Amino acid sequence: MSKGRVLLAMSGGVDSSAAAAVLKEQGYDVVGVTMQVWDYNKSCDLTMEGNGSCCSSIDVEDARSVADTLDIPFYVMNCEAKFKASVIDPFIQNYLDGKTPLPCVDCNTFLKFDHLLKKMNELGCDYLATGHYARIDKDRYGNSVVVTSADTFKDQTYFLFTLPPEILPKLLFPVGGMEKPKVREYAERAGLSVARKKDSVGICFVGKGKYAEFMEEHGNFDPKTKQGVFKQYPDGKILGKHRGIHHYTYGQRRGLGLSHHEPLFVIKTDVSDNTVWVGPEKYLFSQRLEMNNTHWHTQLEEGEIVDVKIRYAHSGAKARVYKNENGTAKIEFLESQRAITPGQAAVVYRDNSLVGGGWIL
Amino acid sequence: MLVSRVMTLEKTDLYPDLFSAGDKIYFDHNATAPLCRKILSSAPELLEAFGNPSSIHQFGRRPKKIIRDARNQFAKFIDCHPLELIFTSGGSESNSLVLKSEFLRAKKAGIKNPHFVVSKIEHPASIKSIEQLKELGLKVSWIEVDRNGQVDFSQYQSLFQEPVHLVSCMLANNETGCILPIKEMCQFAKSQGAKFHTDAVQALGKMEFSLKELDVDYASFAGHKFYAMKGVGALFSKQGNVIENLISGGGQERSRRGGTENTLGIASMGIVAEFFPQQKSYIEYVRTLRDSLEEKLVSRISNLEILGRETNRVCNTSSVFIQGVDGESLLMNLDLAGIAVSTGAACSSGNPEPSPVLIAMGLSHAEAQSSMRVSLGWGSTMAEVDRFIEELEKVVIRLRAIKENGGEL
Repeated sequence: MSKGRVLLAMSGGVDSSAAAAVLKEQGYDVVGVTMQVWDYNKSCDLTMEGNGSCCSSIDVEDARSVADTLDIPFYVMNCEAKFKASVIDPFIQNYLDGKTPLPCVDCNTFLKFDHLLKKMNELGCDYLATGHYARIDKDRYGNSVVVTSADTFKDQTYFLFTLPPEILPKLLFPVGGMEKPKVREYAERAGLSVARKKDSVGICFVGKGKYAEFMEEHGNFDPKTKQGVFKQYPDGKILGKHRGIHHYTYGQRRGLGLSHHEPLFVIKTDVSDNTVWVGPEKYLFSQRLEMNNTHWHTQLEEGEIVDVKIRYAHSGAKARVYKNENGTAKIEFLESQRAITPGQAAVVYRDNSLVGGGWIL
Repeated sequence: MLVSRVMTLEKTDLYPDLFSAGDKIYFDHNATAPLCRKILSSAPELLEAFGNPSSIHQFGRRPKKIIRDARNQFAKFIDCHPLELIFTSGGSESNSLVLKSEFLRAKKAGIKNPHFVVSKIEHPASIKSIEQLKELGLKVSWIEVDRNGQVDFSQYQSLFQEPVHLVSCMLANNETGCILPIKEMCQFAKSQGAKFHTDAVQALGKMEFSLKELDVDYASFAGHKFYAMKGVGALFSKQGNVIENLISGGGQERSRRGGTENTLGIASMGIVAEFFPQQKSYIEYVRTLRDSLEEKLVSRISNLEILGRETNRVCNTSSVFIQGVDGESLLMNLDLAGIAVSTGAACSSGNPEPSPVLIAMGLSHAEAQSSMRVSLGWGSTMAEVDRFIEELEKVVIRLRAIKENGGEL
């Protein structure tokens, strides 16, 4: 007896592949789907495994091979146009606006949990599943909530704050209750070819660390117009010229090409005149941030102390959240935080459960 | 006998012996057709003849004879002289071969910018060959095709203001099944001193035609659309034409196509031609099924258009535009129900662009993305048609309901 039909987003990586095996074992009818989001023929060596990314052509073939091994239906959906409009273009624009974007959240918001959710309905599926490291649980009121994964290091709930809470009963995260080594073991046992495949790192469509090159290739702007000067923070002394403001992110130390008597960090950037402010690390610390476009899964109590992550790799810090009417909010940390970066998300947790989040201004 | 088969909708002796799709429904014969079982039963003997057909010793004799027999059988089937056939690896090679060969011939004759007239709805094998040749100086004029898959003859004639070297236009379109007026187009081209090529890949087994009657200079064929094997096809090249090799090699195919012959594949084309002599009754049978399918489609599903329905079409193809339904989701739903159709992009999965043929025929992107191609075959049955209609109706109702609800059910 089937437990229902599940549409599973398969990237060709080990997590979503193991998820397919888990779902099948649990008795679901699994329909695998890979979103082809970027034409790698144009920019990548097709024979290189994943290029340190996910969803490249070779990954699509991996997903297909996993589906064959498990004998489940599998489709490739072309989402290039949607991906470009909802993820790539805003990614480039964010950088040009002096922010450090977080495209994985946009991909979740506009592709995985919007486009695929529609497809789930269209294909008559009961659930939508992904290989995210996250869990869904019930809170004390019986509402579904997103809870951090069993693998705290791999936990991906940070990328899920825009999920509309009402869709949670439709979602399955089959590997969220496992630790990565267990996931690999599971994939190995299921005989999946991807069991030992490298983890994807960085942003799938960029490749390792080549952000500026990516933007210059795909953005509609003249890199020369982004050039400007380094200024010393806070006195404004000019320290030299830089290669273009899209090369720099808050807290960056490497690759500045400046010699100085003390280590210099990017403190902030100003797109109005392409100034990159640099200075000693102490100026990177701040105790507050503002955010907009907030999404809330559960209520906060007045003055409640919560944990807030300001980037994916951040371990979280105690803070109070002050919401405004217009979807913005202010966060005050109990202790100063390093390099609070516009364009990243501030994601709020109570214990292990996702409360909500917003975009850092 | 034909009538009784259609009436009783049961398999009779007339029923061709094909590999079957089991309990699934295969309505995608324009992508490829199931194999004729006679090929399987002949295969051991054919494979035993492993020798090189070009060898002088006796090991070469049997494979040489196998190829000769197949050549005779297939030539008879399409009404040409056996030596006018060049066996190739398939339709794509045949199209590439003739276009590139004619371009080279023109270049060698000292024409700086050879001028080809090509229809906008050709197969990618032709379109991409043309794109390549354009970089080498080819001048192309495009034949327009309307929403019903028809050619405007005066537009066609107007392309001959400059001397034309070659015209290339398919006999039947893969997406819509529309038959193009090749005989008349060819007559006019000849009167203007141009040569004429027709891509007949989608016509084989779906309409009756004679190469003699069409009087074209070249015609392309593929085995696998015709219940024969994949990896084999043919180019008809009328006596007197000189071919510039695409694949250089030994003297095979009278030096027009190098490479040791695909004996089994070539034999399979002969087998199908030989064992389906009652072509006419199959064609009528499939047409009856298709027409019935279309009647049911139109009566059961609202806001549905069958492209080119009023025009001359091959017997098996329906190109269906279903308003408010995403073709991709439709195809997947039907597939999950065990029914195979196509959205007109089988050759280009992963390609975001909707079918270039439908776009060339004047459909909007949205319309093309709401289109589906159903292509029946010699083994299709009325029971399958009915089950298909049933399932399609369910899916369309659900998809339209979801769409009206903004993605929610």
